[in-house]
Amino acid sequence: MMALRELTQGDKKVPVLHSNNGPALVGLVTIAAHLAQEAKRPELLGGSAEHKALVQQWLEYRLTKVDGCHKDDIKTILKDLNSYLEDKVYLAGNQFTLADTLMYYGIHHIIVDLAIQEKEKHMNVTRWFDHVQHYTGVRHHLPPVVVLRNRVYTSGHH
Amino acid sequence: MGFGDLKTPGGLKVLNDFLADKSYIEGWVPSQADVAVFDAIPSAPSTVQCHALRWYNHIKSFQNQKGSLPGVKKPLGQYGPSGVADNTATDSKDDDDDMDLFGSDDEEDAEAERLKEERIAAYAAKKSKKPTLIAKSSILLDVKPWDDETDMAKLEECVRSISMDGLLWGQSKLVPVGYGIKKLQIGCVVEDDKVGTDQLEEQITAFEDYVQSMDVAAFNKI
Repeated sequence: MMALRELTQGDKKVPVLHSNNGPALVGLVTIAAHLAQEAKRPELLGGSAEHKALVQQWLEYRLTKVDGCHKDDIKTILKDLNSYLEDKVYLAGNQFTLADTLMYYGIHHIIVDLAIQEKEKHMNVTRWFDHVQHYTGVRHHLPPVVVLRNRVYTSGHH
Repeated sequence: MGFGDLKTPGGLKVLNDFLADKSYIEGWVPSQADVAVFDAIPSAPSTVQCHALRWYNHIKSFQNQKGSLPGVKKPLGQYGPSGVADNTATDSKDDDDDMDLFGSDDEEDAEAERLKEERIAAYAAKKSKKPTLIAKSSILLDVKPWDDETDMAKLEECVRSISMDGLLWGQSKLVPVGYGIKKLQIGCVVEDDKVGTDQLEEQITAFEDYVQSMDVAAFNKI
């Protein structure tokens, strides 16, 4: 039996997972990784050592750069993600991982408010986001973000 | 549909533009559609075509599983953006066996040329005969917001998100109507028997947070 609660640490709220057989676990990434193992989906955390490290890298990015970020940081986050995703389909390796899920949840509130020309400017983020939100079982209750190509606003890339 | 000739820079550009907002040729997982297009490309796209290159490298990582990817391989001309003429160049191998991803097809060049010419002739003949039977109209809609603080970019996005069979959104502009309020004037082309202005009005005014009302500013038969 598991129960998810919230703990207040300073000015932040963090999730806590209580279970009958084992210690309480604190922290978003810790809990998510643990649940992935419990559900026997270790591939969600990466395959090779390098792949696993890459997944961790983006989970860390979510916690340190995305959560609790200021409005001014949003531009940087979008730029970081856009240039990283230029030649990649997923955040880590060639398959869907927890990094994609948690980043999706992390930036959903940002993407949902982006105007069409902003989405066009960060085309790679938009493409990745649209892909992840269509992945079965990911989107849940979050509203889908409509992605429309509008060639009036060409991206600055080409 | 189709990308044109994927062995030429022109065809690769079509593929590149197509893949800018997509991870796969069809749907949200790698499938035989990706295998079909991958097999048709002679070598990795250049870094200038970053989207095609991204897709190419990603699909290459699935080479061991390409036989087991979902879907059924269709002719190349059935993939890609709609509205592009299907003058896909084919090679002489018509069998459904999986082609060697990295194998070279030397003998098919002359065949491909002949086939390509035949297809172009057939396409031209088809195009000259095709009558335009579908009745279409060009409609200009005025969408009015509640006040001058309404987010017009969001309003436009909502309107453009309405998709129906036979409806094509066109250009739009913001027209000031006074007191700082702007209305969205957006054009669309509809197929008469598929889309009616009542339906459009219903769907547009459903966005109650942004849209106060909608009017038809102009209605022309095409």
